[in-house]
Amino acid sequence: MRECKIIFFLENNLNQCMSEIILKSANSWIETKKKVVLATVIKTWGSSPCPIGSKMIVNEKGEFLGSVSGGCVEANIINECLELIKNKNSFKKIHFTVQDESAWSVGLACGGELTVYIEQIN
Amino acid sequence: MKTEILKEIIKRNSLKEDFAVLTNLSTGNSEIFDSKKLPGKEFKNYENKIKNFYNLKKNGIIDGTQIFIFNYIKPVEIIIVGAVHIAQYLIDLLKNFNFIVTIIDPRKYFTTEQRFQNVKIINEWPNNALEKIKTNKNFALITLTHDPKIDDPALSYALKNKFFYIGALGSKKTHENRCKRLKEAGFGEKEIRSIHGPIGIKFGGKSTPEIALSIVAQLVSETNKILLNSKN
Repeated sequence: MRECKIIFFLENNLNQCMSEIILKSANSWIETKKKVVLATVIKTWGSSPCPIGSKMIVNEKGEFLGSVSGGCVEANIINECLELIKNKNSFKKIHFTVQDESAWSVGLACGGELTVYIEQIN
Repeated sequence: MKTEILKEIIKRNSLKEDFAVLTNLSTGNSEIFDSKKLPGKEFKNYENKIKNFYNLKKNGIIDGTQIFIFNYIKPVEIIIVGAVHIAQYLIDLLKNFNFIVTIIDPRKYFTTEQRFQNVKIINEWPNNALEKIKTNKNFALITLTHDPKIDDPALSYALKNKFFYIGALGSKKTHENRCKRLKEAGFGEKEIRSIHGPIGIKFGGKSTPEIALSIVAQLVSETNKILLNSKN
């Protein structure tokens, strides 16, 4: 067995690259005069799939990039983002809990919970 | 979020600096924070708490506040010795993660622009090249030439400078011989054993992309192990 190296200084955030790609795309959408809403995972509980800081962007056509869950709540986020644009609001917090199996409701099949913050970029 | 802040995040990210983005979840305002900057009026009441999260590189809602912090961290750096075919696949896979990659190879016919784009290449012998880079313990080394005169000096350098991950390509026999040479050069058994050789996790593939994938899998796994230890 290899000895476990314990080092106390290493810092990295391996999923930072995804943020970078998504924010760059947001910027290019804005430059083509599209309205853009940024969704960010701000809190997670249990086994929710995307870590805090995971991002998704949505434009007024409903096109999106990135993710905030494993596909469980993206459709709902798109609708919330479109509402935000339509109502000219600037931000909103949305909380998702465990899926209700008896209904076709939005929810997390994984048993996790998460809060997503959506905000218009302008 | 204001467009200027978005542009500033993109700019700072491309400079690979350490910084964080603060968002006030009750007003919707955001700003950029770093160690040289004092938090603005919406955040200054929580300066100590913000600094605490920032120094620990913790992401999330700061306890007892309506402030969300997300840290952008200067990535760890990967040095690849050998601009061989596997390196091309490695670059492709590594760009999905937060790493800064540099390739070192003194052989000019390997380091052509046609083979490598958008990656830093140093066309020198590893000793000279590594001395030019300010390395620290946030560095990893991957040697791919399996030519002792190119790989060995890089491995010695990485061992002496305590890189957090060192991996060397080559068969079991090649690696045995490599270990013997390093022992003769004065390295201890524990140090030599810290080298991942033959490099990569085992999943039975022999093709170039499979080898590259097995190396990236091992590198990411080792990085995560140490990150977890750093946080606990």
